[in-house]
Amino acid sequence: MAKIIGGIGTSHVPTIGVAYDKGKQEDPAWAPLFKGYQPVADWLAAKKPDALVFLYNDHATTFFFDLYPTFALGIGERFEIADEGAGKRPLPPMRGNVDLSIHIAESLVNDEFDITTFQDRPIDHGCASPLPLLWPHQPDWPGAIVPIAINVLQFPIPTAKRCYKLGQALRRAIESYPQDLKVVVVGTGGLSHQVHGERAGFNNEDWDMEFLDLFVKNPEELTKLRHADYIKRGGAESVEQIMWLAMRGALEGEIRELHRNYYLATTTAMTVTLYEPA
Amino acid sequence: MNPQLAGLEGLEGTYVFDLRTSHRAMKLNRFLWKMIGADARHAFNTDPEKAMTDAGLTETEKDLVRRQDWIGLIRAGASFFVLEKFARVAQRTNLEVYAMMRGETFDEFMATRRVPECR
Repeated sequence: MAKIIGGIGTSHVPTIGVAYDKGKQEDPAWAPLFKGYQPVADWLAAKKPDALVFLYNDHATTFFFDLYPTFALGIGERFEIADEGAGKRPLPPMRGNVDLSIHIAESLVNDEFDITTFQDRPIDHGCASPLPLLWPHQPDWPGAIVPIAINVLQFPIPTAKRCYKLGQALRRAIESYPQDLKVVVVGTGGLSHQVHGERAGFNNEDWDMEFLDLFVKNPEELTKLRHADYIKRGGAESVEQIMWLAMRGALEGEIRELHRNYYLATTTAMTVTLYEPA
Repeated sequence: MNPQLAGLEGLEGTYVFDLRTSHRAMKLNRFLWKMIGADARHAFNTDPEKAMTDAGLTETEKDLVRRQDWIGLIRAGASFFVLEKFARVAQRTNLEVYAMMRGETFDEFMATRRVPECR
């Protein structure tokens, strides 16, 4: 049976992808970010998971607001990395695992989590920005991703509690997959930031630290918060941190935080964390 | 009112993008969204007025696009996440757009950041 061996929390700021493509890994302004991912990349290289389940959000790239799924799971041998207005990135298409994705879709729907599915559509920086910092891509990615997009753009968006429950259902799906695969669940987004309006540039480091501590010790507390609470505390777009709660739901129970890197350079508190079941 | 969002009424400088806004500004958002396609970018760069007319934009919306009035576009109902696709076409970085939305020069805005060189 497949098994969840750990969880990763990561920002998915598009600028990370731009800096990566421009080779800014050693640039003093960027090095604290890239170095912060190295322990997680090393852990992945040592543990060799077969698949990363990415709980991420589309940024009106794969989908437009005329038909915007609350939860959507991607199925494909490959996922093209989307052109978001600046052209294609120099990365190979991400790898998928069709059988695993379909099993997860079947399990979720039979478990009353009626998820949308998509095929043959490119995926944006929600997955593609952090992925090359986690996994090497030359000559090819070492494993598959299972992309699960969560609407955090067009309200109504799912509640924090619903995201946690998605994670719980995802765990049942993964653990019922007959092959002995090693799976890591990745929750993306955050931490504090706001990118629209006159309040753009808002951050709240104290709240970020509280969130990271509650995330390990008392995630129930975070599932009780309303969207308005996240928006007030961490900035409008930080509400996407509810996607971390989906990852936490998949790692229900006690977890150990193996690594944390927090780098607030300009506008988004860029964070990466690594967890293992305790 | 969506109870998940209650209490945000007094939060200045924040414009919640919900179905009401999305419905009101569907054509504007679709126009901005299409900038992820090379053909749409080419059409806009070749003849911006025709591209905006073809997209069904109102005169007010056209004017906001012409002047690259970022905060005006947000107030008109644009989602930031399609606005940033247009920003690529307009050769503006997100940091520059943030500064303009705040009514600051780029240097003024970057001076408020911890690591201004991180761009």
